[in-house]
Amino acid sequence: MNNISTTFTANDLLLMLQGAGVTFLLTIVSGIGGTVLGFLIGWGRSLRAPWLYYPLGAYIEIMRAVPLIIQFVLMNSFMAILGYAINPFLSGIISLTLYIAAYVAEVVRAGIDAVPHPMVRAARGLGLGYIQAFRLVVVPLGLKTVLPAWTGLMLGLMKDTSLIAVLGASPPELLRSSQIIITRIQEPLAVLTGAGAFYFIMCWLITLAVRRYEQRPLLQSLGR
Amino acid sequence: MIKIEEVRKSFGNLEVLKGIDLTVDKGEVVCLIGGSGSGKSTLLMCINALESIQSGRIEVDGIDVHAPSTDKNKLRRKLGIVFQQFNAFPHLTARENVALAPRHVLGLPKSETNQLAEHYLAHVGLGDKLDAYPTQLSGGQQQRLAIARALAMKPDYMLLDEVTSALDPELVGEVLDTLRLLAREGMTMIAVTHEIPFAREVADRVAFFHDGVIHEIGPARDLISSPQRTRTRDFLGKIL
Ligand SMILES: Nc1ncnc2c1ncn2[C@@H]1O[C@H](COP(=O)(O)OP(=O)(O)O)[C@@H](O)[C@H]1O
Ligand SMILES: [Mg+2]
Repeated sequence: MNNISTTFTANDLLLMLQGAGVTFLLTIVSGIGGTVLGFLIGWGRSLRAPWLYYPLGAYIEIMRAVPLIIQFVLMNSFMAILGYAINPFLSGIISLTLYIAAYVAEVVRAGIDAVPHPMVRAARGLGLGYIQAFRLVVVPLGLKTVLPAWTGLMLGLMKDTSLIAVLGASPPELLRSSQIIITRIQEPLAVLTGAGAFYFIMCWLITLAVRRYEQRPLLQSLGR
Repeated sequence: MIKIEEVRKSFGNLEVLKGIDLTVDKGEVVCLIGGSGSGKSTLLMCINALESIQSGRIEVDGIDVHAPSTDKNKLRRKLGIVFQQFNAFPHLTARENVALAPRHVLGLPKSETNQLAEHYLAHVGLGDKLDAYPTQLSGGQQQRLAIARALAMKPDYMLLDEVTSALDPELVGEVLDTLRLLAREGMTMIAVTHEIPFAREVADRVAFFHDGVIHEIGPARDLISSPQRTRTRDFLGKIL
């Protein structure tokens, strides 16, 4: 027993740093994937074609209703059944992406709907094609509405990544790393405070990045 | 020439245009007047294919507007349209608003589209507002910006839908002056308006819309000073 330290060691700090890195990576990868997929779903719904609108709506409802932890386990088993006994990280990232995409889709649709139709009509009236009007008018105007809600989703996603622990993914992400340390040194308060600080710093980095983006002249002009 | 023949248009079960016939020659100014909901705006949007039609035919310079084979985006280059709501793109400066379509529709280089923008903004009296954002402009200035934006595509026709209706009374004059300027330059225009004195002064012909048909049409002065039909007389009596 004497080779197991009961105090917080430098290795523990490294473990937590590594956990923070895993959490951050999971967030970035599934955040980007989920945003791209969610954008497509939200755009598809904004077209309001029944054959697309309702199936996509069902997808969104299901993903939002079923607890993420169940989705993780189901996705992992599903992959195994398909014969892809894959890395729990990959299956976790797929789950997170599919999950967050459902939320992003609703935000995107709200952003598109927030652009007044007459504005789009004016763009089309100038001879801009559908895609041009979307890219040059709808997206920049909708972005303004969407950014705060989207940022909130990404911060939520970061905290949700901790649920990947059910798959026993290794190396562990931040919360799991903290639990490993707590089990050994029995100092939950200190360790969790430290983990909380790590989460806070990462959230703050994401918020900062979005805020810098919002400072771009394009978005500034909308705030006038 | 714009040739409208027997055009019918419905929104669901609601028939909004019930057989419209109207021919507008090059250089002509035609004003459309009539009560709210009589189909004036709908007709303008059918002319540049922003709305589809159920039957009939609209031709612009011999092009069948609603034929499936017609390139609608290309057709719209011929037809500038300005709406009641100004619809200036709020994320773009005045210059960028005007340069947008020449850049992305015509594919002109930036140097050229900037020149175009400056030219047309000066033309409508906004030469000193090139870098202003729409929210920094008054309603009248935003509407003139919308007119400059349409003109920069060098359209052969202008469709104007109550372009002064959303303006404070003291700002109406400056926009009407801009339209007078266009008329003097020989621009072909179809203008929905409630400014009867303006219609009388600038239009060659005035058409009175009622319930989805052109109830009466004639030379501006005649129709306004001596309307032949009771409904036209009632409408003008109420509005003047
Ligand atoms: N997109 C639309 N969907 C359903 N009804 C419409 C639509 N646009 C216009 N209408 C209806 O068509 C009729 C004519 O409208 P409009 O052409 O705007 O009249 P006006 O410009 O003469 O006031 C009105 O009853 C209006 O409610
Ligand atoms: Mg109208």
